[in-house]
Amino acid sequence: MAKAIKLSMVNVIEIVKMPHWFEGTRNVTLALILTLCSPSYGQIDTSLQLISKIDFQEQFELHDGNLIHLMGYTQLISAPIDLPSPTLIFEEGDSVNLSMWNLSQGAPHTIHLHGLDVNQQNDGVPMLSFEVEHDSIGNYYFKAPHPGTYIYHCHVSSVLHVQSGMYGMLIVKPKSNPNLTWENGFLFDSEHAWMMSEVDTNWHHDSIINHPHDPMGTMDPILPYYPQHFLINGMSETQLDMAPINGTVGEKIYMRLANIGYYANRVIFPAGMNAEVIASDGRPLPSPFNSDTVDVYPGERFGVLLEADAEFSDVIQVGYVNLNTQILENTQEVDLTISGFIGLDELDAEDQLVYPNPANDEVQLPLSGEWVALDLSGRAIGTLISENNNYNVSGLAVGSYILKNVERSDVSVKITIQR
Amino acid sequence: MIRWALAFFLLNGLSAEAATINTSLYILRDSIHFDNGTSLPYATFNESNAYTATNARIVADLGDQLDLWVVNFDSEVHEFRIQGETNTVSIPVGDSVQVLYDCNSQGVFIFHDPMNFPDNASVGLSGMLVVKNTTNAGFYWNIKEHQVGNNATVFGGSSPDWSTYYPVHFTINGKSAPNINNDADARVVGNVGDTIYIYMANTGQSIHSMHLHGYHATIVYSSKNPSHVGWSKDSMPIFPSETMVLELVPDQPGEYPVHDHNLIGTTGGGEYGQGMFTTLLIAP
Repeated sequence: MAKAIKLSMVNVIEIVKMPHWFEGTRNVTLALILTLCSPSYGQIDTSLQLISKIDFQEQFELHDGNLIHLMGYTQLISAPIDLPSPTLIFEEGDSVNLSMWNLSQGAPHTIHLHGLDVNQQNDGVPMLSFEVEHDSIGNYYFKAPHPGTYIYHCHVSSVLHVQSGMYGMLIVKPKSNPNLTWENGFLFDSEHAWMMSEVDTNWHHDSIINHPHDPMGTMDPILPYYPQHFLINGMSETQLDMAPINGTVGEKIYMRLANIGYYANRVIFPAGMNAEVIASDGRPLPSPFNSDTVDVYPGERFGVLLEADAEFSDVIQVGYVNLNTQILENTQEVDLTISGFIGLDELDAEDQLVYPNPANDEVQLPLSGEWVALDLSGRAIGTLISENNNYNVSGLAVGSYILKNVERSDVSVKITIQR
Repeated sequence: MIRWALAFFLLNGLSAEAATINTSLYILRDSIHFDNGTSLPYATFNESNAYTATNARIVADLGDQLDLWVVNFDSEVHEFRIQGETNTVSIPVGDSVQVLYDCNSQGVFIFHDPMNFPDNASVGLSGMLVVKNTTNAGFYWNIKEHQVGNNATVFGGSSPDWSTYYPVHFTINGKSAPNINNDADARVVGNVGDTIYIYMANTGQSIHSMHLHGYHATIVYSSKNPSHVGWSKDSMPIFPSETMVLELVPDQPGEYPVHDHNLIGTTGGGEYGQGMFTTLLIAP
């Protein structure tokens, strides 16, 4: 089954504005009590829940058709675990309550907010903060800090749980404009988020994924790590054909690159693309620089602004380098096409295609019928259907999306949701 | 006894506060032990003729002159150099050499045995010379990894196959978690608002990516990527033979981990939590 179709209707990020402290009604754990005792963040602006789960049946499809077990986070009980977990987007300065309901049936889990520099209570490290037992809810409170690109992942037996799939990207956007890197930073027209990782299928057997509570980690077997699959947003090889990057001449494309794997990533942009490295680890670089190659090591993130001044088609390469031998073991490619305009030849300006853009709850699109909404990682997260050109987009969280028309595969438009 | 004198007179003169650091390093061979029961043959530079698995560290102020004697108490010939700074000198069994070095550049410099590089350096003979121009608190991480069998191969006179290198033990100052926190020179302890320096050297053969919880730190020195100076980071890759200095100004109290984010490096002998993992302890 095509990945994009398989993933449609899931991973929709639901950000609920809460007027008061979140008051959970489920089983309140010691962890929650400890968290509530932490320094107050006052009114919670944003509340979001993730569910940590494991696969009892192999369901995640690799490029070769093989299925593997995963651990992971979803936002719906019924949603299959995906790689990576849903991308979370917050606005700078928001007081956030991120809760996690652990339905692992065994192992405890946490959420470590990698790079957000949250306080100790909310850092997601067992024994230094808290871990969430099966069928319990843990709550993490933090203020979304500097706009930038971050990671969240489990920190219980982290070498095992991260490889098992418990990771996702977290993005903090400035309040004034979601298409701004940070206040007084760089404006961009579209953005893509790439979470790079690997899979060693030997680490995904049921006996490892479905392991019991073992806080000291002494029972968790740590196998030799020799990955066979090298991923960009959970996809590799021909799967990546479904996640191309399409842009237009003069369009500023912001690439968010993150490495949660145990290899180094060497990202190489084609010669026709001007690539400016402007940020790393959630902070602006003091001296942005141009480079067609960006190396991203485990835990790092980079922000790269792309722009082309001519039409061309090429690929972006991602190399995977063994950190022990420094040998390049694999290269993945993502198609990149820069065209004059975005699909509709009969229209001569992009701003005539989508109105208003940025949009709030409603938007007018150039064609009626069904559109598929793709998130920053190129994954389908839902559909928009209307018998006329007016569409309700209130279900889309703040951020940037590509909308692809189902009947006219050559037609796609970019839209920004801003509230 | 043959004595080699090696002097480097750089352009800059010594500052008014310059001092001469008279010290010695003793090459000794024994073993390094890990909590899972594994022991590997190991050799280090020691500050006395008593062996430890932690290499002696030389800390100088900018402008100091180092007057160093390196004594070979091992049963094999060894070599010595300050990487990128001094020429290589040979030290016969039972002999010693004198190394004079003007500490006219701030930074972290690796001294090691370059014989059959990286073989001899990989069995432990790699230490840190830190030249600083500050009285702020400093902590020192000599990071390294170990593949079982390689050290015995080197001591047996052969060279390991580095193209298949797969280390399973990961250390800071010759210790793995949880013992790194018992090393007062490694474990960062301070207060909110302090300016703390972390001096790092990767004397291993793998690339490591050190991740700080709780804080970003500023790279103030990198021997490999000087253009990265000034970057505010939470994850810092450090390459084999690279040295780096981080400036950390904690803005919140608490105890936060620091670890290799190549998470294989947080394991030891196939067990999680016995690798390159320590904590920062910051008081209000």
